[in-house]
Amino acid sequence: MLTRRLLLTSTIFFTLFILQESLFSQVRLPLGGFSLFLIFTICWSALSTPEVGALTGFGAGLLLDLAPANDGPIGQWTLVLIVTGYGIAFLRYGDDSLRGNPFSLVVLVAVGVVVTLGIYLTTGVLLGLDLGTGFQLMKILIGNGIWTLVVAPFLLPLISRLHRAIFETRETL
Amino acid sequence: MRYGGDNRSRLLLVILIVTSLFLITLDLRGVQVMQGARNGAQTVLSPFQRGASFVFTPVGNFFSDVAHLGRTRSKLKALEDENAVLRERILTRRSVDTEIGQLKSVLNLAGKASYKIVNARVIAQGSSATFTQTIIIDAGANMKITRDMTVISGEGLVGVVKEVYPTTSLVMLSSDPSFRVGVRIAHSEQIGILSGQGTNHAVLQLLDSQSNVKVGDVLLARGSEGDKPFVPGVPVGQVTYVADAAGAVSATAEVKFFAHLSSLRIVAVVVKAPDADPRDALVPPKPMPTPTPTVTVYVTPSASPSPTTKK
Repeated sequence: MLTRRLLLTSTIFFTLFILQESLFSQVRLPLGGFSLFLIFTICWSALSTPEVGALTGFGAGLLLDLAPANDGPIGQWTLVLIVTGYGIAFLRYGDDSLRGNPFSLVVLVAVGVVVTLGIYLTTGVLLGLDLGTGFQLMKILIGNGIWTLVVAPFLLPLISRLHRAIFETRETL
Repeated sequence: MRYGGDNRSRLLLVILIVTSLFLITLDLRGVQVMQGARNGAQTVLSPFQRGASFVFTPVGNFFSDVAHLGRTRSKLKALEDENAVLRERILTRRSVDTEIGQLKSVLNLAGKASYKIVNARVIAQGSSATFTQTIIIDAGANMKITRDMTVISGEGLVGVVKEVYPTTSLVMLSSDPSFRVGVRIAHSEQIGILSGQGTNHAVLQLLDSQSNVKVGDVLLARGSEGDKPFVPGVPVGQVTYVADAAGAVSATAEVKFFAHLSSLRIVAVVVKAPDADPRDALVPPKPMPTPTPTVTVYVTPSASPSPTTKK
């Protein structure tokens, strides 16, 4: 059972990663666009228990770390996504008003994406990466938040259906 | 799964975090295995990136054009379908024309300076996983490309090769915030350092506060020792604004790159620099409101503007 879940989940994430790196990264959108992979990961964690959330973050982070255009040290995205994956699952799991309310989930995911990028930037600065001007970074952060708010409502039903099929939880949206 | 086993979940979290910290440490210490993992990932990804770039290049422009077709949808279904097919064919043609144009102009530039170059197609721009400005090109170790080679387009400097994979390479664009290049003002001996800002403008810092830099001055790469990472004489950009801060240690100015870094299709990697410094030979011709090479004539035989000319 565990093997099946693990296999299915990693297949989904791997496919999405390849799509993201080859196809979606070619689309140039205003305000820096968004990362479908990141949104998917955050949504997935939000629908899971904290343990699974942290594991999801670990796997997705490893994949992102392997992206050839990635500049930071391997392990940085892993660290960031473990923390946010666990955090967002923890938040949503403990709070009944957040569960089963699609709208608040969308907002939670958008905030999650922005916080993830924020933590990545902060750790990047701590590790001594050269990241550019504050204005440019603010634009990317805010742009990502807005894009996530726009895109997440369309993605959530799909993601939650996939998640339900694999984990057989009773949660519906 | 009942949630409440706090100890177990906390232990898992700690293990995961320690693992990731361990990975960071390994990578920062320069352990080869880590670089190998990234090499492997690029080898897996590059066929997909090539495919996507091939499919997406014409279609990407198509989406923006489709917005103008909406009005007569119900009446002219058949005509519209035909129109779309023709339109896509034109767009494909246009994107090929653009590539030919960029190729011609880059050959022009390299020929004038007698650089020995390897042409390459851009197969991916940037990545979701990073804030740096990079492109991936379809030439790598198989074309004898090594790290720190200069990458140019028809207009001028594009960037520098940062990583080489078996059949592809990662190029850091000159707009990347960590990009630095030593430059010389054309027709003078004043030198300075240009740093990328994440936009299509860069900041020039002259080493001598006495130097007088003017708007419109052309900057050329100064060349590095052993021609790596920069070969001498490559046009970099043009001064658009001069900051006059009295009492500053060094003069600074804002510079616009010649190369259109957001619409690169074909670039060239300089594998061998000429024996003699080309000096000012590559300064673009004088009448030049926008730094577009003369080759635009080939690119736009029709009235519609080509992608290279619009910002």
